[in-house]
Amino acid sequence: MKPALTVLCIALSAALSSQAQTTLRIRGSDTLGAKLVPSLAEAFKKQGGKASFDIAAEGSTTAFTNLAAGTAEIGMSSRKIKPDERTLCRSKSIDIHEIDIAWDMITVVVNKSNPVTDLKKKHVMQIFAGDIRDWSELGGAPGPISVYTRNTSSGTYRDFMFMAMKGREYGHYTQKMAGNEQIVSEVAANVNGIGYIGYAYVGSKGIKVVPVGGEIPNPAAVKSYSLSRPTFLYTNGEPAGILKEFIDFCLSPAGDAIISRAGFVPLSQVR
Amino acid sequence: MDSPESSGRPPLRNLIVRSRTRAVPGMDPQKIIQSFFGASASAAVIVLVLIMVFLLLEGIDFLPTYQRELQTYRRAGLELCDIADTPLKQQQALASLLRRAGAAANDPQVKAALSDAEDAFDTAIEPAAEVLDELKAHALETKGLAVEFHTLETSRQTLLKAAASTDDPAVKAGLLMDAEAATIAPVNFSGRILPLLERREELAAKLHDYTAALEKAAAALPAGNALTDEVRAAMPAHIAEVQTAATNLKTWDADRPVSMFSVIGAFFFGTRWITNSYWQDFYGFVPLLTGSVVIAVIAILIATPVSVTAAIYTNQFASEREKEIIKPVIEFIQAIPSVVLGFIGIALVGDLIKGVSEWSWLQWVSGFPIQERLNMFNAGCLLAFMAVPTMFSLSEDALNNVPRAYIDASDALGATKLQTVFRVIVPAGISGILSAILLGLGRVIGETMVVLLVAGNRIAIPDFSAGPGVIFQPAHTLTGIIAQELGEVSRGSSHWQALFMVGIVLFAISLLVNGCARAVARRFESHKA
Repeated sequence: MKPALTVLCIALSAALSSQAQTTLRIRGSDTLGAKLVPSLAEAFKKQGGKASFDIAAEGSTTAFTNLAAGTAEIGMSSRKIKPDERTLCRSKSIDIHEIDIAWDMITVVVNKSNPVTDLKKKHVMQIFAGDIRDWSELGGAPGPISVYTRNTSSGTYRDFMFMAMKGREYGHYTQKMAGNEQIVSEVAANVNGIGYIGYAYVGSKGIKVVPVGGEIPNPAAVKSYSLSRPTFLYTNGEPAGILKEFIDFCLSPAGDAIISRAGFVPLSQVR
Repeated sequence: MDSPESSGRPPLRNLIVRSRTRAVPGMDPQKIIQSFFGASASAAVIVLVLIMVFLLLEGIDFLPTYQRELQTYRRAGLELCDIADTPLKQQQALASLLRRAGAAANDPQVKAALSDAEDAFDTAIEPAAEVLDELKAHALETKGLAVEFHTLETSRQTLLKAAASTDDPAVKAGLLMDAEAATIAPVNFSGRILPLLERREELAAKLHDYTAALEKAAAALPAGNALTDEVRAAMPAHIAEVQTAATNLKTWDADRPVSMFSVIGAFFFGTRWITNSYWQDFYGFVPLLTGSVVIAVIAILIATPVSVTAAIYTNQFASEREKEIIKPVIEFIQAIPSVVLGFIGIALVGDLIKGVSEWSWLQWVSGFPIQERLNMFNAGCLLAFMAVPTMFSLSEDALNNVPRAYIDASDALGATKLQTVFRVIVPAGISGILSAILLGLGRVIGETMVVLLVAGNRIAIPDFSAGPGVIFQPAHTLTGIIAQELGEVSRGSSHWQALFMVGIVLFAISLLVNGCARAVARRFESHKA
C-alpha cells in the first residue's frame, strides 16, 4: 500500500511540475500575438525547446491584467506599461520585468483605389479626430471618410493617439475594430476607408500605404519614422529556466530572421 | 385490489412506488422524489437571484467611483477647459464644410475666396486655442497627480490591511515599509486651480475676439453655394454657443460638489462613451442603448411578418408532408452558432447589401448607396434570422391552441378558409402571437456575438437626421461593449464597474420584456375564457 502511494505521489508531482515548467501562457497585444509570437514559439519548439505555448492576443491591456492575476507567464505589449498597471502588479507582488523584443511601425492605409497619394501629419490627426470628414477636403474624390481604429484596449489605439494625434480624442464617428485583420478587410472593402495597421499587414490585398508627411515606413530607418515604436515582453521577475531560453531564442539571430519575416524590425537592426 | 398487481411489477418500481414497509423510517420515497424535483426548480430561482446579487455587488460601486472621478474632473479644472473646448470643436466642422466647398468650386475666384475664408477661420481660433491648450496641460497635470495619489493611497491601504492580518513580524515590517514608501501628499486642488481661475477672464476675452473675427470672415463668404449657405446658417447658433460658454466660464465653480443625482444622470443620459482616454473617461449609456434598440427594432420588423405568416401557413394550409419539412428546418436555424452567423454577416450579407445598394435603379432608397458593409441593418437581418425559430414555434403553438369549436362554427357559417383564418383564428391566437414577438425581442436584445462582429462598433448616437437611411449606419450595442471591453479592463476599476452597470441594465431590460410577454399572454387569455 505504502510504496504504491509513494509512487503515485511522485508521478503526480512530476506530472504537475513538468506541466508548470513547459506550458508558457502568453497574453496581450494583438499586434504581437497574431503572427510574430506564435511563429517564434513554433520555431522555438522546432529547434528543440521543451515547452508548449498557450497564446491569446486580445490587446495590450490584457497582458497586465493577466500577469497581475497570475494567469500568464509572459505578457506581450505594443506599448510601455502604464504607472497604474505597474502599481496593480506591485500590489499583487508581481515584479514586472521588461524586455524589448522588436520594433513596429504603425502604417496608415487607405483603399487601393483612393487617389490620395500623400497626407500631411496634421491631416492624419484631423482625420482621426473627426475634423476632416470628406475626402474632397484633401484633394480626393468626394465622399465621407470612414475611419477604422483598433478598439480601446489596444496598445496601438493609445500609441497612435499619442504619436499621431497629439493626445487628442478620436472622433465620434470612428469605428472600433477587433484587430489589424479586420481593419484591413474593412478598408479594402470601402473606397472611402482609412485605418492604421502594424507594418506586418501592409502586404494585404486591397489596401495601399499612404506616406504621412512624406515618410514611408522602412525597416532600414526605423527610428527616424515618426510612427515607430518598440514592442515589449513582460515577465514576472528576471526570466529563468525555459522562459529565459525562449526569450534568448527570440533575441538570437534565428529569432531575428523570424521577426523580420513577420514584418517587424529586430533589435539588432534598429537604427 | 392491490395484492395481485404487486407480484407483476418490476422490482425497482415496486421499491419506489409501493412497498412502504421496506423504506427507511421517516423517509417516504415519493416525498424524496418530490423534493428532488422541487430542489431542481428552486435551484433555478436561486441561481437567478445569485446572478442578480453578483451583478449588483460588482456594479453598484460604480456610482460612487464615477462620482469621485467626476469630482476630480471638476476640481482639477478639466471641466472648465471643456466648457470652452466643446463649442470650439464645432469650428472644425464649419471649416470642413468650407474646404469641401472649395474643392467643389470650379471658378478660381470663388476657390480663392473660400480658401481665404478657411484661413480666416483658422487664424480666428488660434489665440483662444493657444490659451486653452496651456490651461488644458495644467489641468491634466493636476489630474495626473490626483490619480497617482489615489492609486498609491489604495495600494497603501491594501498593504496596511495585509500587514494587520499577518502574524509574522518580519513580513509585517516589510509590508509596513512598502506602505510607508507609497505615502505621498494629497493634491492641493484649491492651490492648483488658481492659475486656471486667473486666466479664465483672458480666455473669455479670447472667445469674444474669436466670435467677432468669425462673423467678419462669414460675412465675406461668397454666396450661392449650398455648402457655404450651410456654414452661414450654422453660424448664429455657433456664435451664441461660444458666447454662452464665455459667460459660463466666469460663473464656473471648482468646489461645487457633484451630486449623486447628476452622476446617475451622467450615466443614463450621457451621450459619450469614451474610455482609455488621455483626457477624461466618460461612461454615457445613450449611444449604446440607441444602437441596441434600433437593431432590435429592425430585427423584429423583419422577423415578425416572416415568422407569423410562416406559422399561419404551416398551421392552417400546409399538408402533413409540408409540415414535416417546414417545422424541423425552421427549428434547425436555432442550432447554428451565432459566431458562424457573424462570419456570414461579414463575408456575405455585408457585401450583398452593399452591392444591392449600388444598383442605379434603387438610388431612390434613403441611405443608398451605403458606405459601411458592417451596419445596423446587416446586424438586424441576422438577428431576425436568429429570432425566427423562437417566434415561429411559439406563434404556431398559439394558433394550435385556438379551440376547434371556433373553427367549426366559422365553417358552419359559410366562411371561406381565408375568412376563418383572418377573422377567427388569428384574433383568437393574438395573445400567443404577441408574446411570441416579445420573447423574440428578448432574444434579439441579448444577442452578443453577431452584433459585435457585424454592427460596425461605432460608439455614437446614430444620425437620425439621415431619415430611414439611418439603419445603414454602424453602431455599438450594450451587449457588444461588454464583450469587447470586459476582458481587458482591470478588475474593480471604474470602467469594469461601468460595464457591470450596463450588464445590470441589460438584465433589467430582459426581465421587463419577458414580464411583458407573460402579462400580454395572461391578459388576452382571460378574454378568451
